Amino acid sequence: MLEIDKLSVSYGTVHALQEVDLTIAGKGTMHGIIGPNGAGKSSLLDAVSGRRRPTAGAIRYRGENITQRSVAWRRRRGMARSFQRTNIFQDLTVREQLSLVAWRLGDERVGDVIEAMDLRDCLDEKAGRIAYGVQRRVDVALALIGRPLLLLMDEPGAGLSAEETLRLFQHVRDLVDEREIAAVVVEHDVDAIFACCGVVTVLDLGRHLATGSPAAIRADQRVIKAYLGSAA
Amino acid sequence: MNGEAAARAGFRRGAFVAPWILAVAVALLVFLTGAFAPPYIATDFVLKLADSGLLLGILALAVAFLMSQAGLVTLGAASVYGGVGYLFALAMSEWSMSPLGAGVVALIVVLIYSAILGALIIRTTPLAFMMLTLAAGEMISHAVLLDGLRDYTSGADGLVVGFRGTFFGLEADNFADPIRFWPIIWTSAWGIALAVLLVRRSRLGAILRATRQNEERMRFSGFDTYSPRLAAFVFVNVIAGVCGLLHVLNSGFVSQESLGLGVSTNALVAALIGGTATSTGPLVGGLIFAFAQDQFGARGFTQLLTGLAIVVFIVIFPGGIVGALGNFVRRIGGGRRREVD
Amino acid sequence: MIALLIANSLALASLLIMMSSGLALIYGLRDVINFGHGALYMLGAYLGYSIAHATGFWVALVASPALLALVGAALEYLALRPLQRRSHIEVALVTLGLGIILGQALIFVYGGEARTVDAPPSLSGSITVLGLTYPVYRIFLIGMGLGSCGLLALWLNFTTSGLHVRAVSQDPSVARMMGINADRLSLLVTSLSAAFAGVAGVLAGPYLSVDPGMDVTMIVSCLIIVVIGGAGSIAGTIVAALLFGFVQVAGSVFLPDFAALAPYALLMLVLLVAPRGIGRGRAPA
Repeated sequence: MLEIDKLSVSYGTVHALQEVDLTIAGKGTMHGIIGPNGAGKSSLLDAVSGRRRPTAGAIRYRGENITQRSVAWRRRRGMARSFQRTNIFQDLTVREQLSLVAWRLGDERVGDVIEAMDLRDCLDEKAGRIAYGVQRRVDVALALIGRPLLLLMDEPGAGLSAEETLRLFQHVRDLVDEREIAAVVVEHDVDAIFACCGVVTVLDLGRHLATGSPAAIRADQRVIKAYLGSAA
Repeated sequence: MNGEAAARAGFRRGAFVAPWILAVAVALLVFLTGAFAPPYIATDFVLKLADSGLLLGILALAVAFLMSQAGLVTLGAASVYGGVGYLFALAMSEWSMSPLGAGVVALIVVLIYSAILGALIIRTTPLAFMMLTLAAGEMISHAVLLDGLRDYTSGADGLVVGFRGTFFGLEADNFADPIRFWPIIWTSAWGIALAVLLVRRSRLGAILRATRQNEERMRFSGFDTYSPRLAAFVFVNVIAGVCGLLHVLNSGFVSQESLGLGVSTNALVAALIGGTATSTGPLVGGLIFAFAQDQFGARGFTQLLTGLAIVVFIVIFPGGIVGALGNFVRRIGGGRRREVD
Repeated sequence: MIALLIANSLALASLLIMMSSGLALIYGLRDVINFGHGALYMLGAYLGYSIAHATGFWVALVASPALLALVGAALEYLALRPLQRRSHIEVALVTLGLGIILGQALIFVYGGEARTVDAPPSLSGSITVLGLTYPVYRIFLIGMGLGSCGLLALWLNFTTSGLHVRAVSQDPSVARMMGINADRLSLLVTSLSAAFAGVAGVLAGPYLSVDPGMDVTMIVSCLIIVVIGGAGSIAGTIVAALLFGFVQVAGSVFLPDFAALAPYALLMLVLLVAPRGIGRGRAPA
């Protein structure tokens, strides 16, 4: 589904990502990405989703090299992304924004997404007015419209309690299983990742450290050292 | 069910009129009254002011639409408004076109111009966009004064523009005479306001407003955020062009002042006074501006009032007069205060 | 000839740097353009004129900025802070309205003709530097320009408040998370910006003139410079001001008919090549 080949992202002298190789298997995969602060997790998502142009390396999506493609192009081809800092339409109602995106992506079945993200009760509220936790769900819902094939989630649990985060993760896990999409989830809440993801990748200081099952990663000495070393 | 309720139910059933039919009927009534009544109740001078008020109002509507829907401020509207006048005159004198032909050609030039300019400048930030519209406007304004083009533009003297024959079947004095011009400008204003309303309520309007709120998320939702705004820019400039045509037909004269920054800012202020979110707001604003300007003669005073108006109508009445009235009426009717788009 | 061109460009650029860096600072911090900045400059110039006639140029050079700083604080408390929840366009328009009112008030008080301000005796006349005979006053002006650049650089790079300003300009949300008091910072920046406008206004007197149209000319120039310089980049603004000064001066020498349009052409050219401006200010969203 997704192949990341020696990807590097730099901001001036800051090397956020250095020659990272990663492969995301196909449908039905929930792939977690964790790492201490400054590991480059968000930069990875930014590069893959098209928000930032990588300084080196290539990204292959479903066999095609998409490194130069625009953000909108990627979305229309099924690569959807949710944001760490809630990025929704404050002055539109939940219904309005979901319908608008649904129209664009040719998806008539918005109802599924509304059910999945439990947004039935606030459909006619302006998004700026609803609770933060619900706004996060709207953020994810916008990414779920149009039956995406690859879902990229940037710290979906940011600002949520551990319980809310786990619930959100389980929602996504259900979607991954039902709809056979692939999800890549960057998250700080390691417990939620271990609970729901089949594969976990650890980044540290912009480099790939380890990839494996949750159990393997939890036992990996290098990973433990990386987290302890940066216990800030 | 007691007698009272039964009577009420019967009344409702018998006197049922769909709300929209009522609205259209009222609108039609207002339209017809407005088109034909004023010449009988107002003096020539008042009508002349009202004519120029509606002209400014239409230009203000163009500026307001772009501002409220796309979040972009254009300071070059006047250069199209005045420029069309020059193009119209040139098409008739240099290319021997009929008045109608000249008008169409002028509008086509405006369309092409705004498409090219828009294509170049819409990718920048909103502030840069505004400055670029100013730059383009000022360049056109200067071009008119160039010695090289003096033969065509009469430089600083301005150009007298008359026409023989008919424009849309009407002869020149129909446009020049304030009384006979009134139904023309009134109808045009309604037509343009309707067009703006339709676009605003359309999918394009929704896309523009969403893009204005969160351009990035629009792209991340698969939208092309560039083309809709380009379309909106061309749309408002064509409106400005039509307005400019009406202006030159009416006044028979065009000069550098017609395309100056002053006219652009007047349109902006008129839009703020009336309210930028509706179709009627800027038209009302234009009328108010024209009458206020006449009242407070001395130049310095109008400028001061312009500054005051800007502050007052953003801080205290952000929806403009029409917006404030709308909220007031709604509050009386018990409805919720509707937010301005 | 070239030397004269460069010298004149530097002189004009010095004035523009003082003005546009103030505008750029507020823009970087609050994402708001103060359209009344030209009017503040005009206020500084007219106040400078009055004070200079009463007590001399040097007193004016200190008093006018001090008074302007107070006006800046007033602007912050009465306009920018109460309206900070409004959209940026609305706040910008309010500053425009206030600027127009201020400008008209000045015309009302001082009348519509241009005023002349003489350079102080110590700065009058010309001297010969590096083979070029040049007015002393303009050299002083260039010195002031360099000085303000230096002060700005020192402040932004070596003080806490300067660091905070840079942080907030680069990424407002992160800075808020770090607990930087944006309100106090904003007050500082607005007052400073107004004070600089005051200095520029006083300096403009003997160099240009003190006339009713100066606010419009200045704000348009500053806007072009800030846009070319790129949002959030002071270095970009300074480079843009130098470019602008050069284009303006060169334009009036080589293409006098088009001189007034030269800045607009510069704007279009730069944005065609670099749509986000010269500087590498705010990280793209």
